[in-house]
Amino acid sequence: MSSAENKKLMQEIFAGLANRNGTLLIECMSEDFRWINIGTNKWSGTFDGKEAVLRDLLAPLRGKLIERSRTVAHRFIADDDYVVVEARGDNVTKAGRQYNNEYCFVFRLSDGKIRQVKEYSDTALIDTVLGDPKEMPAAG
Amino acid sequence: MSANENKKLMESIFARVAAGDRAAYVDCLADDVTMRVTGQYSWSRTFKGKAALVRELYGYLHTLLADGRRTIPLRFIADDDHVVVEARGNMETKAGVRYDNEYCLIYRLKDGKIVEIREYCDSALTEAVLGKFPEPAKAEN
Repeated sequence: MSSAENKKLMQEIFAGLANRNGTLLIECMSEDFRWINIGTNKWSGTFDGKEAVLRDLLAPLRGKLIERSRTVAHRFIADDDYVVVEARGDNVTKAGRQYNNEYCFVFRLSDGKIRQVKEYSDTALIDTVLGDPKEMPAAG
Repeated sequence: MSANENKKLMESIFARVAAGDRAAYVDCLADDVTMRVTGQYSWSRTFKGKAALVRELYGYLHTLLADGRRTIPLRFIADDDHVVVEARGNMETKAGVRYDNEYCLIYRLKDGKIVEIREYCDSALTEAVLGKFPEPAKAEN
């Protein structure tokens, strides 16, 4: 696909994410999809494979938030197989804290599928607000 | 300039700075450049104008880091007037502590000059190694 087609696909995916709908994002992940978070906090590192991304990254994140996450993109920069998306989160944790991170996502696509994303965000904010992915807040 | 010309310009700036010509970067900053350090940590703010950016940010970094600091580009992504550079720092503080941050730098160019920069990096590492940004110099964000 051309860079313009890749950009259009990412715009459609983020139209969903602005409405707390990640269905298209998940549909477009290849089976060998890889998600890389920068830094050295407890959410940092490489999640290899769509299944691991959903189970070890997105499910624990969902567990921290009062509702499905909302991410609002404000810029798309596409070149060849890459689409860079700058975005802001608009979320509240179950502990009642605002979690509005600023993201720069570098996506790599091929054949209409997302193969990889590297997420750059405010890792200090993740430490402070999200803490440990393995610690689940008490219900209610 | 086209996206491709902008990309070539940024590639050439990084190559020249790596070869020791730091002025190659500063010369390409527009006088009214703005640089925003994204996020909500102590360094997050907008530096407005080349003079303020060079003095308040790069001047302060110069007091903390040993000579020979490098920012090694890993990838250039260009679209219209934007060039994204993913990069890896290769630095050491004057006290001898490694400081190898991961950067995603978004540049907007106009007529061969950099007019806008946004920096995304591992803010936890920045604060752990370099400390908090000094408050007296705080510019409006």
